[in-house]
Amino acid sequence: MVNETVLQIIMLIEVGLLALAVSVFFLHGVWLHLTTRRMEKLVKTGRESLARLVSSGSINLEDARVLRGLPNDIQQITFLEISRTLSGSGKERLRFAAQKLGVIDRARALCLHRRWTRRLRGARILSQLDVPDALVLKLLADPHPAVRAQAAEWAASQPSVEVVSAMLVLLADPATQARFAVQNALLRMGNVIAVPLAAFLETHSDRAAEAGLKVAESVASPQFLASALRLSFVEDVGVREAAAKLLGAIAGAEAAARLMEMLGDPDPHVRAAAASALGRMNYWQAGSMLAERLRDERWRVRREAGLALRAIGAAGTLFLRKALKGDDRFAADMAQQVLDLPEAATG
Amino acid sequence: MNDMLASFVTQFLVKGQFAVLLYFLAVNGWYLVLLVSSLLELRRHMLLIADESRHLLLSSTLSPTISILAPAYNEEATIEVSLRALLALHYPNLEVIVISDGSKDRTVQVLIEKFGLVAVKTIYERNIETKPVRSLYRSSTYPGLVVVDKENGGKADALNVGLSFARGELVCAMDADTLIEADGLQRMVRPFLYATDVVATGGTIRVVNGSLVKHGRVEKTAVPTNFLAGIQVVEYLRAFLFGRLGWNRLGGNIIISGAFGLFQREAVLKAGGYLHDTVGEDMELVVRLKRLSYERGGPGKIAFVPDPVAWTEVPESAKVLGRQRDRWHRGLADVLWRHRRMLFNPRYGVTGLFVYPYYAFVELLAPLIEAVGLFALVLGLVFGVVDWTFAGLFYLTAYGLGTALTAFTLILEDLSFHRYNSFRDRALLFWWALLENMGYRQLTVYWRLRGLWKFLRGRKDWGAMERKGFRPITAPS
Repeated sequence: MVNETVLQIIMLIEVGLLALAVSVFFLHGVWLHLTTRRMEKLVKTGRESLARLVSSGSINLEDARVLRGLPNDIQQITFLEISRTLSGSGKERLRFAAQKLGVIDRARALCLHRRWTRRLRGARILSQLDVPDALVLKLLADPHPAVRAQAAEWAASQPSVEVVSAMLVLLADPATQARFAVQNALLRMGNVIAVPLAAFLETHSDRAAEAGLKVAESVASPQFLASALRLSFVEDVGVREAAAKLLGAIAGAEAAARLMEMLGDPDPHVRAAAASALGRMNYWQAGSMLAERLRDERWRVRREAGLALRAIGAAGTLFLRKALKGDDRFAADMAQQVLDLPEAATG
Repeated sequence: MNDMLASFVTQFLVKGQFAVLLYFLAVNGWYLVLLVSSLLELRRHMLLIADESRHLLLSSTLSPTISILAPAYNEEATIEVSLRALLALHYPNLEVIVISDGSKDRTVQVLIEKFGLVAVKTIYERNIETKPVRSLYRSSTYPGLVVVDKENGGKADALNVGLSFARGELVCAMDADTLIEADGLQRMVRPFLYATDVVATGGTIRVVNGSLVKHGRVEKTAVPTNFLAGIQVVEYLRAFLFGRLGWNRLGGNIIISGAFGLFQREAVLKAGGYLHDTVGEDMELVVRLKRLSYERGGPGKIAFVPDPVAWTEVPESAKVLGRQRDRWHRGLADVLWRHRRMLFNPRYGVTGLFVYPYYAFVELLAPLIEAVGLFALVLGLVFGVVDWTFAGLFYLTAYGLGTALTAFTLILEDLSFHRYNSFRDRALLFWWALLENMGYRQLTVYWRLRGLWKFLRGRKDWGAMERKGFRPITAPS
């Protein structure tokens, strides 16, 4: 039989653990209650002082003293909280105050820390305050993806040639786990990326090009036309599909001519993208070719062709009505479904 | 005769009690490892999300499109509120597909009236064999809303139909009664953005009973005072915050709650969608995706997001809860049996060598071993082989560590998201954690054994789930 003493010892240990857990649970509750109240009070004071500093545009000694007297974490919370509502000169004043009060220096020190969590924190503070600091630029090559992603977020508000170049390099990095953040940041930089991105697309034909094409689609500058046309012929299906979408965003006769060719691409994803792009351009001249795609063997192509015909207006609707009476049951069904769609659902 | 029986019981107890006690200690020891693992993972996660700018996702055209698949069966009373809450989720590229699974009430009519639905030609790309679709509707006011009315075929069938209609890169499978947090999708999509090998993500599901719900959103959290619901709050916290989170760090997650999960659509279609002939279709799909990633290559990481992303109503009657637990255990047994070739198979890496054996020998067999232990203890008392003091000590020792671990889970919750803030809630949580082992756990042992028995007999029925629905519930102040 198991010795009763052994059981008692085990049970004592368990009771000890339980008592510890319960004490921590309730004491943490009390601590949480007290610190939340204290923090709310301090953040309120800091918020008021900082708001006065930012709105007056000059350093008021009393407010500066109040802010300096706050614990570092409260200072950070106050600055980050108010930074979300500011831009332009307001943000500049906030940065000035942050510089004077040492918030930026502390964030810079965090960016150099050996632990990634601290570097992430530093990058977040500098990002949210839009501080143009070369230190964050270096973090684009950080070993941790979360830090790289945060640095990319910072880059969105620093659209210099150097920053854009560093970001484009990341698009070509097959190992990057923060590609979304990079693409998103490039997209938010707007037209400033058109020239370097066009140059990047001229020299790439792989997955990096696909990522670049997706960004280019949102900018839709005619400067991408040559690259989009070139990339629409490459072997990689994803690249061709992205090129078709970009051509639809750029529009124009050259783009339309290539897109009509792409309706005959061997890959259904590319054919569907080409049909959708022609619809996006409202290119009514492609009506008969799109109507032909209503008979495509793949559902996805038929659907996109139908939606494109609906998008190009009266001419397209005529083709859809004609398909209803045609001999191809699949084309007729798709035409009927597209014609049935309420206006809101045609996008 | 009695002497012989007593001698047998003595022998059985002498040999069996060591085994049972060792089993309890080993299992709880492993739980301790999971607890430490989840603590580390939670700390990492909290550092990762502190002050992050998720709003950037909202303005990006690059955010992946998510198709929410919401199966509905006789949801006439709640469908409008539930759907409005879904359409108001904070996510930019969203499509909501409601699949009425042969509802016999006015579910479809309510949708037509309230959401401006227009019937369109019922054709679709039939990727997976399903029950026939009766009609298809699109909304004249909500571009991303699709309503499918189909013949009854069960949840798996409804989800498969939804998969055929979905256009998003990611699909979100949910229960009709799940309440999703407004920014839940933003939180769930995060692993897909930062890693290319993620095939599915799951998040923490919380118990909504007792909380204040308005317009399909949880406005005020509170721990329920109902015995069964209260204990399930603790159970859910433990299952998600230290179970799945702990496994997440060890790379061994194979469960995503059917109430709310996000999947790569292409991967699910390639895997053949949800299986019809199982009651554990959600776990089965995840295990199949994981298994196929080893066999065919491709993404296979199952990521768990500890953020509370969704809320579900749990049963408050023993009858309904029993049916649910019985079904869950049958589902577990069925999934483990279907994919038995993974057991101890090094080809399936961590999943085959550690996770699968854990689910087979701990999760599946635990009720059996626990029942044997309890039975032996009762026999011992009846035949006078053990005295009451010893029996009490044995019982408390066996369950003591589990209670302590549950209490540590409460600390995890408190250190991270602390949704239960009032003293009343804390006291109630602790109270339910203490009470869990005094009757409730033994009931679940019975229900799970019943599930195991039904599995062996080949039963695959679901049993009805009765819900009160999300009427505004007044939370205690």
